[in-house]
Amino acid sequence: MIEEFIKNIKQSGSYKRQIVHIEELPAHNAIFSELEEPLPENLQNILINRKIQFYLHQAQAINKAISGKNVVITTPTASGKTLAFNIPVLNTLTRDKKATALYIYPTKALTNDQLKVLKELEKESKIKADPNIYDGDTPQHQRANIRENSRIILTNPYGLHQYLPRHDLWRIFLQNLKFIVIDEAHIYRGVFGSNVAMVIRRLLRICNYYHANPQIILSSATIANPQEHAQKLTGKEFEIISDDGSPRGKKSFIFWNPPFIGSANTIRRSTHQETKDLLTLNVLQKLQTLCFTTSRQMAELITRWTKEDLRKSKQDNVVTAYRAGYLPQERRDIENRLKSKQLIGVVSTNALELGIDIGSLDSVIISGYPGTVISTWQQAGRAGRSNADSLVTLVAFQNPLDQYFMKHPVDFFGRPHEQAIINLHNLCITLGHIMCAASELPINDESDKQFFPELLTLSIQALEQEKLVRNTPRGWVYSGTARTAEMVNLTNISSKTVTVLCNGKLLETLTLNKAYEEAHIGAVLLHQGETFICESLNLDPLIANVKKKDVDYYTEALKDVEVTIAKTYEKSDKGITVGLGELLITESYHTYLTKTGDTVINRTPLDLPPLTFSTVGLWFIVPGNIREVIDDQGLDFNGGLHAVEHAMIAMSPIFAMCDRWDIGGLSTSLHPDTNASTIFIYDGFEGGIGISETLHSKIKQLWEKTLELINTCECKEGCPSCIYSPKCGSENEPLDKKVAIIILKEMLKLHAANYRTARKRRV
Amino acid sequence: MTFTKDPMDVPAVQRENNCEKGDKEKWSLFRAAESLRKRIGQAKEYQVITEKESEPQSSPVFENWLWRSDYDEALKFEKQLLKQYKGKTLEEALPGKILSNEQGQCYKISTSCITKLKTANYEESKQLLVSDLKVLPGIGPVSEQLLKKQGYTTVEDLTRHPKWKKQAYDYMKLVDTKETSSVQKWLWQRLPKSHPLLHYLAGFCQDQNFAIVDIETLGLSERPIILLGVAKPTKDHICTTQFLLRDIPDEPSAIWALITQLDPNISLITYNGKSFDIPYIKQRLAYYGINGYIDNINFDILHFTRRALKPKLTDCKLETVEKYLGITRDINIPGALVPHFYDTYLRTQNVGPLVPIVEHNRQDLLTLSTLFSKLYEEWTIDRGIH
Repeated sequence: MIEEFIKNIKQSGSYKRQIVHIEELPAHNAIFSELEEPLPENLQNILINRKIQFYLHQAQAINKAISGKNVVITTPTASGKTLAFNIPVLNTLTRDKKATALYIYPTKALTNDQLKVLKELEKESKIKADPNIYDGDTPQHQRANIRENSRIILTNPYGLHQYLPRHDLWRIFLQNLKFIVIDEAHIYRGVFGSNVAMVIRRLLRICNYYHANPQIILSSATIANPQEHAQKLTGKEFEIISDDGSPRGKKSFIFWNPPFIGSANTIRRSTHQETKDLLTLNVLQKLQTLCFTTSRQMAELITRWTKEDLRKSKQDNVVTAYRAGYLPQERRDIENRLKSKQLIGVVSTNALELGIDIGSLDSVIISGYPGTVISTWQQAGRAGRSNADSLVTLVAFQNPLDQYFMKHPVDFFGRPHEQAIINLHNLCITLGHIMCAASELPINDESDKQFFPELLTLSIQALEQEKLVRNTPRGWVYSGTARTAEMVNLTNISSKTVTVLCNGKLLETLTLNKAYEEAHIGAVLLHQGETFICESLNLDPLIANVKKKDVDYYTEALKDVEVTIAKTYEKSDKGITVGLGELLITESYHTYLTKTGDTVINRTPLDLPPLTFSTVGLWFIVPGNIREVIDDQGLDFNGGLHAVEHAMIAMSPIFAMCDRWDIGGLSTSLHPDTNASTIFIYDGFEGGIGISETLHSKIKQLWEKTLELINTCECKEGCPSCIYSPKCGSENEPLDKKVAIIILKEMLKLHAANYRTARKRRV
Repeated sequence: MTFTKDPMDVPAVQRENNCEKGDKEKWSLFRAAESLRKRIGQAKEYQVITEKESEPQSSPVFENWLWRSDYDEALKFEKQLLKQYKGKTLEEALPGKILSNEQGQCYKISTSCITKLKTANYEESKQLLVSDLKVLPGIGPVSEQLLKKQGYTTVEDLTRHPKWKKQAYDYMKLVDTKETSSVQKWLWQRLPKSHPLLHYLAGFCQDQNFAIVDIETLGLSERPIILLGVAKPTKDHICTTQFLLRDIPDEPSAIWALITQLDPNISLITYNGKSFDIPYIKQRLAYYGINGYIDNINFDILHFTRRALKPKLTDCKLETVEKYLGITRDINIPGALVPHFYDTYLRTQNVGPLVPIVEHNRQDLLTLSTLFSKLYEEWTIDRGIH
């Protein structure tokens, strides 16, 4: 069916050679294996009733887990990971009538999905475990009952962070805790992951207080360093299970490049329009398709346009959008209709990238490179759950990053998955969580080192200095006036939420930043493919009022980002200027565009107070004489500056143990605070999170590594491996690889000269 | 050569002091702690509302609020206290003595006051508790009327009713044996927590052994308790005992001092204690790993107050209730500012800010006694209407 479909596309009159590459990922058969020890009868019955035979990786995982090992499973989407970690848990819960298990999922949607799975297993296995979700949505009056009676509790890290101080209410559950299951563990990377790693250590510390020593089972998408990641996330040793034994149908992975418009061969047709056409074709062919977009708004727009195209054939009701912000009931409804095949096409943000069970899909369209290899494969993995053939289509944007992959498809398929990086030595994060721990149980300098091997003593000293902890005969006791969990935010992102009301009824919720983009006065807010016009955006309290109105245009808000130096912590001025300090990042949304398709039909000024946040960042000046050299050669100085910024950010994770998405940057040929060409690199978090401080102290090594990266990259003009950024705000333009090399070499020369004079002075 | 470091390690930037890695880390950590401390100082668990703004609604945003003028006045008062008590010792400011127990030491302040706690007596309580047939599951207002017409005027009568005898018998057994806790649990199942019968139940309490309990804390949850107050009514007196933390290490001892005062046969009187004071004490016991219990029967009069006075008041904060009862305080600070005042004491070691905290708590205990009695009077006047 898939081959037929591809053939049809290629032969159709409208085909303009968009397919630049087809990678055939061959089918493979199932590899089965046996358990080392028989399961109890109730679980054996489930296997018989469901006609389950364990795949190799499932058997390996279950064997290891039952023998008491911590296990990390990294097989692909839809390989039956869920069963692999549920069987050992149910085994223990069958044998030990008091045993409990805690499941941690990154999103509420996932907990809802997995609750159903666990409830069915509970019923079939005839054990009494009363699986339940315990999170922010759990009604107050049900909480005590769940804590006291449920043996399987599903939650998320945000919830856990809040509940840990009240461990007294969880005593019985914790005393009997035998398993902690952490699903989708690859999500816990970068700053967020480093925070979650601390929450897990706090949980284990409390378990230890109640004499519980739970085993941990982790599942993760394919990442470069699963074992190290699991170990850093939890502080425990792990056995890795990665030999996938599940069967796969053949998968065709198409690289689709929108065709040029006109004869100049400079402008390509809109990625969104191409995506819409492809989705329409897929739906008409009855291929059940999931289409991933890079933004909420595009998910809605592509849904809308596809529906319009399908109206002629009266099939518009089989397509819908799905994204964060929808109410839980709406989301569940879509999931169910997808599973029951009432829906043929769903357009989603990465909300559906995680393992929500939506059954097997025939086709996945990825509209724009999602930024990481991990995400691309996660999204691609949504197609072809069963033994049938499947199709994945990556539709490129015109930006250099996407275009690079279109030109070098083989590079993509040989590209290693990214590492999941966690920093256990981040001062800000560790300090905050040690303070949280002090409000959970008094901290003991010696015995708590096993949970916080790094920075414990120093953090306590710093907290004592600020009188946030007091030394008592029972240990260090938290003595601040605010609730610690409120002061420490796992994502370090402001949690201001705007409530969107339509005729006084809750439509959805948005973060403040998103509201500035999509819910300012005059904005067209898209919800489930329907258009709403925003009539007001109130900032105190945060409420937007919208009115349903059918329009055929959409809006796009434009912003300027400004960086100002608010306070200088450190600065050198002799020959070379490198600074570290508090930066104020100001985002001003000044105009919004009204568009139909890709055509701008109106520009309207916006009157919104700018969004500002203060953070910590570093900056350095590229001296005027370097610029002169470059300008004299007729080269693009700005392109070089921009490229240096990107490449430095790309190399930063090596030094700061963060994710590149945790860092922001700005390069400008003239900055008012420095009066010179300046590159800023800053922590993407309110208040700063320690990344820039580390980078600042290693600036020379960072330049060297960055130069090495660009120098040794085999590309000619730049590529995703060196100067292209997946999150560039200006579409990766301008960028100049050669100039970047010149700038970095000159900076290092200056540094060396500066170092020599410094040495002379000292001797 | 005056240094032996690997040249690679010398940062490009010239710092004023070329400190070691550990020092730099320490410096960064201290800066992070300072900014954390600043954010904590700004975080408030209450809203300050400027007068002239619309009356506070029952909206959850304003659950914990105070007027701007009261807030400003309190801060002025704090300054004045710091001046007034400069150099004074705790004993001078708040006469009391150091108490030692197996959990450590804390500071004990005792006072006595002439006033009387009024409650229903056993006979009166019993009469009311058995004459409401709706206490039995399955009997609503309609059935009750019907049964009363048939001559079943009390639950006791129902022990002879073919359908209700079993339940009526179970209930009467609890009432006759004065199983106060069990009767309370029974009534909770059947009636709203604010029902006057649950207040009258106080008449059942053994030897009229009551303890009014109120705590002051560093916040709404999961922070140290800084003061625990208990008031025990005698015939015509109320003796208040307050256990104060001179510093955080005193907390286990102060909590222990309170809970060891509360024998299982004592009935507690609290204001929102069921959801605040008692669980808070339990959390702190678990925090320190102290094996202690506080499972006494509790008459939480917030519920009764809401029912009886809500229509007459803008809210049910104790301060508002006091105004209604005509109680005035000589020294007072808003309850929401107690954490701030104690924090000032900890930071400055000036005992001034402690004075209004202790007085605030003591006054709360006395007000609760008055309120408890007042509610009894109100119910009695209203009786026959409900």
